[in-house]
Amino acid sequence: MVHRPLERNQVLALVALSVVVLLLAYTGVSWRQHLANPSDTTIPSWSQLYEGVVTIVQVDPRSDDRWLVTDSLATGKRLFLGLGMSWTLGVLLGLYMGSVAWIDALFVAPLSLAAKIVPTAAMAVFFVVVGIDLEMYVTMIVFGVLPALALSVQLAAKDVPKELVEKAYTLGASHQEVIWEVIFPSILPKILDAIRMSIGPAMVYLIAAEMLVGDEGFGYRIRLVQKRLEMQVVYPYLVLLAAFGFSMDGGVRLLKSWLCPWAEEKR
Amino acid sequence: MSLHHDHLLAMSVEGLFKEFGAKKVLHDVSIEIAAGQIVSLVGPSGCGKSTLLNSILGTLLPTAGAVSIIDAKGARNLVREPGRDRGIVYQRYSLYPFLTAQENVAIGPKLDETSLPFRLFRPFAWRELRRTHLDQAAQLLEKVGLGDAIHRYPHELSGGMRQRVAIAQALIMKPRILLLDEPFGALDEATREDLQTMLLRFYEDNIAAKRAGEDPPYTILIVTHELNEAIYVADRVLGLSQYWDWKEAGYDAAPGATVIYDKAAPIYKSTDLKEYERFVAQREEIRQIVFEQAPLPRLGEHVTFWENLDPNITEGILGS
Repeated sequence: MVHRPLERNQVLALVALSVVVLLLAYTGVSWRQHLANPSDTTIPSWSQLYEGVVTIVQVDPRSDDRWLVTDSLATGKRLFLGLGMSWTLGVLLGLYMGSVAWIDALFVAPLSLAAKIVPTAAMAVFFVVVGIDLEMYVTMIVFGVLPALALSVQLAAKDVPKELVEKAYTLGASHQEVIWEVIFPSILPKILDAIRMSIGPAMVYLIAAEMLVGDEGFGYRIRLVQKRLEMQVVYPYLVLLAAFGFSMDGGVRLLKSWLCPWAEEKR
Repeated sequence: MSLHHDHLLAMSVEGLFKEFGAKKVLHDVSIEIAAGQIVSLVGPSGCGKSTLLNSILGTLLPTAGAVSIIDAKGARNLVREPGRDRGIVYQRYSLYPFLTAQENVAIGPKLDETSLPFRLFRPFAWRELRRTHLDQAAQLLEKVGLGDAIHRYPHELSGGMRQRVAIAQALIMKPRILLLDEPFGALDEATREDLQTMLLRFYEDNIAAKRAGEDPPYTILIVTHELNEAIYVADRVLGLSQYWDWKEAGYDAAPGATVIYDKAAPIYKSTDLKEYERFVAQREEIRQIVFEQAPLPRLGEHVTFWENLDPNITEGILGS
């Protein structure tokens, strides 16, 4: 029947089955590919993948450092600077737009416009304006993430029931207290959801930019090795990116259940 | 119309008009409520009860006229915006969902007595003060019968418990007048009666305070659509309606709602049995005058609370 829940063990068994089928299918496809050409790297075998991982973590004789370390540092720095700025400014801006009418009127047009522009398409502009260093990546992420984040925070802030705001004034609140003690905590779960949803797009913009103009970082490395069809290096990088996405997602969820125990979804 | 000046007032509405564009909602509404009274406000839907309540709360500004809150020393403060001398309990959204019951009650003193910079830059002084606020809140919750649920969030409380917390939340500020906007509308009958009894106990506290020469702590204006409740919990019932004989008063078009009923209601003790029979006649009278569209009452015909007030009254808050 629709929506009838399964036993926990049944769920686990089915999840395990799907993973096993996936791994077996990959092994099979890879094995067939290597029948024709044993040195093929488009669908690397498990041993080739192991070599790929070694390539990533060992010291590269030419550049004298480890790819994994260089790339993680470069990409991580760009991502977190960009996201950090987007989150701080986006939440502040959205909160005040959703609370104070004149701030809303002042920012709503430019933000709505910016939210509609694809940042990867506008990369040439960032190029010209801020160069191709760290600033460009950060600008690009901020440009891609902040408008949508600010607008969704603004909507949430406007949705706070007016009763809660009016009551705060009868309890002696100042305007700033209404914003920080009533509106902000009311919408914190929605803010955290919006923040969680912004991680994916930020990574898309960053990797694309690194592929185009980077000289280090995940996007740069993947472009480099995929030109040589060294998929045994590409796949571990993809897995790392996925793992990173998962852990960020889980981290924000954890933060939400810790900061907003009252907002737990009702089961 | 001079008698009421012997009694200390808590709130006065004088000649209040409210128009939204061409739509005239309130017409010359005047109400004076004495300190310690519990007054019900009834009226047909769409008569402007919410507009009147919002004008008293200060979220709507009147087209003409004024609302004043009168403090215990007799000083009048004109209402321009929501402020801490008026408390409000709504039917919905009555509590902050992100705070526990205790924190919901303690937020009043927090917002009122401290500021963001104080809490940010003097964390130790704030922690000390916070503890007294929480203690105060716990005591008040005990008083409204919620001592064992103070750490629960609103979504973990029943509707009746939520309204108790909301009342405590408003009362901790010691407002000069407490506005209740259909507070028990969403509750089941048994819970509703419990809360009505609580209001009667507040009224008894008022009488006791006044007899002891103190200021009565609870002055309440309750908006309700339930006539039995209106008569049972209050010592006075106000009827607001747009259906009155304005043609006779010389108007060409409907000028909006005004107070067309204002009379005393029987006073119940919280320990009395709730006998509706005592006020069947009054309930029918209110239904006729306030809710029926014909015959239309004349202006002021049934607005007789202060006129008919016995100078030698011995009952209720005004007789204490």
